[in-house]
Amino acid sequence: MEDKLFELVGAAYAPPLSWAEESRKAAGSGKLAKRYSKKPALSFCLLAVIVLGCLGCELFMPKDPLYMDLANYSHRPDKEFWFGTDTMGRDLFSMLWYGGRISLLIGFLATAISTLTAIIFGAVSGLAPGWLDMLLMRFTEILLSVPNLLLVVLLQAVLGQVNVWSISFVIGITGWASIAKVVRTEVRQIRGSEYVIASKCMGAGFFHVLWNHLAPNFISAIMFMVVMNVRSAILSESTLSFMGIGLPLDIISWGSMLTLADQALLSGAWWMIVFPGVFLVATLVCITNLGSALKRGVGGSESNL
Amino acid sequence: MSGKKIYFYYGRKALGFILSMAVLSFVVFYIARLAPGDALVSYYGERAEKMTPAERAFAEERLGLRAPVFVQYIRWAKGAIQGDFGISYKYKMDVMEVIRGRIGNTLILGGIGFILIFVLALFLGILCAWYEDRFPDRMICKIGIVTSCIPEFWLSLVLILIFAVYLRILPSSGAYTAGREGEIGDRILHLVLPMAIVVTGHLWYYAFMIRNKILEEVRADYVLLAKAKGLSKCKIMFGQCLRNVMPAYLSIMAISIPHIMGGTYIIETVFSYPGIGTLSYESARFKDYNLLMVLCMISGGVVILCNMAAQTINEQIDPRIRPGRENETSEVEGFGG
Amino acid sequence: MSTIEELLEIRNLSVSFDTPAGEVKAVRSASFSLKKGEILAIVGESGCGKSVLCKSIMKLLPGNARIKEGRILANGTDVTRYRERDMRKLRGNFFSMIFQDPMTTLNPTIPVGEQIAEAVAVHYKGQKRGKGQGKNLPMKKEDIYRRVIELMELVGIKQPKERYELYPYHFSGGMRQRLVMAIALAGEPQILFADEPTTALDVTIQTQILDLLCEIQRKLGMAAILVSHDLGVVARAADRVAVMYAGKIVEIGRAEEIFYDPRHPYTWGLMRSLPIFARPDEELYTIPGMPPNLLKMPRGDAFACRNEFALAIDYKEEPPMFQISDTHYAATWLLDMRSPKVESPLTGLGTFAPNGYRQIYIRKSLSEQRTAGKEGENGDKVILDVQHLTHQFKLGKKTVIPAVNDISFQIRKGEVFGLVGESGCGKSTVARCVMNIYRPAGGKILYQGINICDKEQVKANRRLLEASRQLIFQDAASSLNQRMKVSRIIEEPMRIHHIKTPRGSYHKEAEFQMKYVGMDASYLSKYPPELSGGMRQRVAIARALSMEPELLVADEPIASLDVSIQAQIINLFKHLQKEHGFTFLFIAHDLSVVRYLCDRVGVMYQGRLVEEAKTEDLFKTPVHPYTKALLSAIPIPDPRLEKDRKSPDFDEIKWPEKGEMVEVGPMHFVLKNA
Repeated sequence: MEDKLFELVGAAYAPPLSWAEESRKAAGSGKLAKRYSKKPALSFCLLAVIVLGCLGCELFMPKDPLYMDLANYSHRPDKEFWFGTDTMGRDLFSMLWYGGRISLLIGFLATAISTLTAIIFGAVSGLAPGWLDMLLMRFTEILLSVPNLLLVVLLQAVLGQVNVWSISFVIGITGWASIAKVVRTEVRQIRGSEYVIASKCMGAGFFHVLWNHLAPNFISAIMFMVVMNVRSAILSESTLSFMGIGLPLDIISWGSMLTLADQALLSGAWWMIVFPGVFLVATLVCITNLGSALKRGVGGSESNL
Repeated sequence: MSGKKIYFYYGRKALGFILSMAVLSFVVFYIARLAPGDALVSYYGERAEKMTPAERAFAEERLGLRAPVFVQYIRWAKGAIQGDFGISYKYKMDVMEVIRGRIGNTLILGGIGFILIFVLALFLGILCAWYEDRFPDRMICKIGIVTSCIPEFWLSLVLILIFAVYLRILPSSGAYTAGREGEIGDRILHLVLPMAIVVTGHLWYYAFMIRNKILEEVRADYVLLAKAKGLSKCKIMFGQCLRNVMPAYLSIMAISIPHIMGGTYIIETVFSYPGIGTLSYESARFKDYNLLMVLCMISGGVVILCNMAAQTINEQIDPRIRPGRENETSEVEGFGG
Repeated sequence: MSTIEELLEIRNLSVSFDTPAGEVKAVRSASFSLKKGEILAIVGESGCGKSVLCKSIMKLLPGNARIKEGRILANGTDVTRYRERDMRKLRGNFFSMIFQDPMTTLNPTIPVGEQIAEAVAVHYKGQKRGKGQGKNLPMKKEDIYRRVIELMELVGIKQPKERYELYPYHFSGGMRQRLVMAIALAGEPQILFADEPTTALDVTIQTQILDLLCEIQRKLGMAAILVSHDLGVVARAADRVAVMYAGKIVEIGRAEEIFYDPRHPYTWGLMRSLPIFARPDEELYTIPGMPPNLLKMPRGDAFACRNEFALAIDYKEEPPMFQISDTHYAATWLLDMRSPKVESPLTGLGTFAPNGYRQIYIRKSLSEQRTAGKEGENGDKVILDVQHLTHQFKLGKKTVIPAVNDISFQIRKGEVFGLVGESGCGKSTVARCVMNIYRPAGGKILYQGINICDKEQVKANRRLLEASRQLIFQDAASSLNQRMKVSRIIEEPMRIHHIKTPRGSYHKEAEFQMKYVGMDASYLSKYPPELSGGMRQRVAIARALSMEPELLVADEPIASLDVSIQAQIINLFKHLQKEHGFTFLFIAHDLSVVRYLCDRVGVMYQGRLVEEAKTEDLFKTPVHPYTKALLSAIPIPDPRLEKDRKSPDFDEIKWPEKGEMVEVGPMHFVLKNA
């Protein structure tokens, strides 16, 4: 064996298996790897419970959320009414799950609208000649600097009639500017990238580039913002409803449930304020955590300082 | 820049401002009138609903609502140029009078809020960046994420519930207790809760922005050189990284002004704080046209002014010494070998 | 203290990074020492840990790096466990560092003078405290200013007072590197680390900066550690050389010993794969395979699986350092008593002739061989005819940057035409005009007789133009869409043109192309970020080849690759041209590659073609002063030759505003003043 060790074997030598096994033992464990790959499992589970619970609320709701039990209005939480009742005698626990549907629906609808608008607007601006691009971007900048809620209030005033669709539309149509800006920057960047130039040199048409190169790249860039948009849409809906310019009382959502908060304050009925709010905040925190996990880190590099 | 150029530069800006205000006023005027709703209700109250058509026509004529919208606009604009913005339907007095009584409250709330946000965001952002991924940073970030998910109005309700309803140490509404208008202490007590909400509502966004921008800077190569020449962490952080971040922060904070002011509108409603926020909310709901116009013009003016300020800040920084490269000139990127 | 000769001593230093994927062992038990006034060069390919080694000594590494073991002795004091506060006193004063890219190492928002002044101020404060003087007065402003001016003069910046207030963007790359050097020297350090100080610079500036470094080092009596991948640079500056591979120092010795009598097979491979040593009629030597993954280090010697002289024991145990002479050590089992004698494959290469560098340049012209064989067939068919091409970029409304100015050349079928010049000379612009990416502002480009500047003609011949001209970029990482699988990337042009594939399906075609460029078909299902730089470039070439083009425009295709990988790609190009008769427009800044690969060469300077000739003629009898200067600036990996060579003075050359190409020999054109 000892003599063979010093034989000239060259690059393509397969060492005996026993050697390889020894080296495997010597290799360190991947303890650190775990710390980095932390995923928001808790947020995901909690969000899943909330969403599934809202979707299938008929299966376990103890009361009819719409039924006004006038005998038991502003009832404290107890065994019968787990989270108490509101000033109109509706069971809060049932309302929470039932109303969650509407809140989530509005969140997704509004996001869908704003994402679509943003992609179209951003892509057009990114592909447009300089002057048009500048014009469009000035427009988004101004839109961005106007407080979102004021715009929504204004639009809501114009539309008048409030229902789930109109409120989703209003929230969606006012919340696309920041996504559009990112889409536009990405499109500009990708458009000037070498792989698109290469593709064009090979004779690729506009749609080929759009489908194969632009879309996959900018979609990953805006994922975080889209998720955050769901969050702010739900937030806007609740704020609007609370202020009385959103959904009316008889359409139950987390926001409209809080409309009665004024009366609750007077009577000290804390449960009417706390429970819907906790649900709302829990959902939003979960969505934020999931969104942050999607976000591309700061280049993944380490600080130099 | 030479003296003449500066005049030209700011002259162009001023012209732009006037033009945008004119466009804005027209758009708002038109939209307000298109919106469904009865303006007479705000003037005559409940009575309006019981009016006969003839009475209605007479009332509308009196308020000048019968003419085509464009004519109405011209009439309004003529008055506005002379400083006459009409009367508020609801308050039955000059619009400017109504606003004058309220705007101070909003300015105090928004202004102090803005300063607090500006300073605190800077402080928290630097703190987080300094302790990147260590306990203080993670702690602050967690708190920030949760707080920024709480709707302002709900936080207001909870705070009112705690401090006003149960503990009874802070007032729940208004800007002052009736009859004690002059007392500063009383005013401050009334400001505590709304101010807390204004600050927490906007603080995190800007704090995170500062943090991320500094972290980007800290990863730049020049930090290595600064370190190699023996500068301390403190000197690099404040003398180099923060210095590079500041211009961008200033311009973003300029745009933040309308946002913070806009945020006060909601808070004013919750706390029944007599500012222009509550006023605009009312005027929009009840079609108090003249009041709405002026309030929209004020808000719009702030937005446009702040935008221009941000743009000016951006333009004043030489792009070549701006940190980070934003190569907008696409063709030049491929220049050379 | 003064008796200790070693300024810096490193003993068994190991550095690791904690990454999400696991522990990366970047430096593995490196030991060396540095004496006063000497320059030690560390060479190796990218990722071998040479830069990490330097940064770990100065503790400039990010938070996830750890010194696992070993000791760092600075002036005899152990500084391994020094805290940040103590290290700060050493930084700038005891050692300092300059970095690779002068464009990013200066803070863009601070005037350069101020940046130097900062360093000066820190230094004097530290010194006063160190001496323990009662008065801890800060240095006076005028003193600092005077010192800054002095430093700027030291690094060769003219009119320092006027330039004190300027921002970094006012300076060119070379000037910025000088400024960085001034900052590094502000504290009068005893050791200067130079991390690839010339890599980001043009050849012409490279020598100047290197000479400045040596000059200052001698003047101030500093020691320096020069990190570089370029053996030519190392040969010029270094007294001693350490060769690193996969985090280990595999060979260390005096420069002459390493260059004339290397003992480690890796050092052999590194030298043999340089195109400057190769005869044009031979294939370039390549080190097989790729550097190991530092996450999963193979057992035994990390180089074993690429080493044609590997012994069985190399796969079992890492070799210790064997001593060859007092100063020369190498870590290879070949030096063990028990191992068979192996003769260095380097003997017989041109370098070892005492006066060999003329010899290096001489080559048999390939084009001569070819025209002798194939004359009359297609040797004279002009594929690309560029006539008076002019192009400029508009920056804003008024500023216009002329990029290409009245350039004419022709490329014949089967020929490799090289276009050389420093960065910004407009060579890439020419390539892009040829590929119809830019519309030239003036002139004509005829491709197979089609005027590609004419929209009508382009439209009529679109398919032909798009299929038969292909472009290969410098940086394959950015020219491949990261979110597309390799198979999709290679199939892309075929899909665009809906080509009927001779091999049945797109996938089969892609497999064939992969094999053709020397890659395993299993890589087809991977994404570009999973591949190494060399492999990505192969994929880019495979994509270009899948259309079976006639003209390949290669824009610095090997500039971002390591020496051993470079050789593989050059061989591939050579093979393509020789066996398949592709025509190339090959753009490069590395003259030794051009000399090896091209049949004819055009030299560009500031948007103009200043000389054009057969490769052989150009290298033998350059006429234009710029060409002469450029040729003499090629660093040669031979310390004796390199150290005697004077650095060319480019400032002396006068650039003609207008001129015409004059024929000075057969097929040899030079720009002459009109």
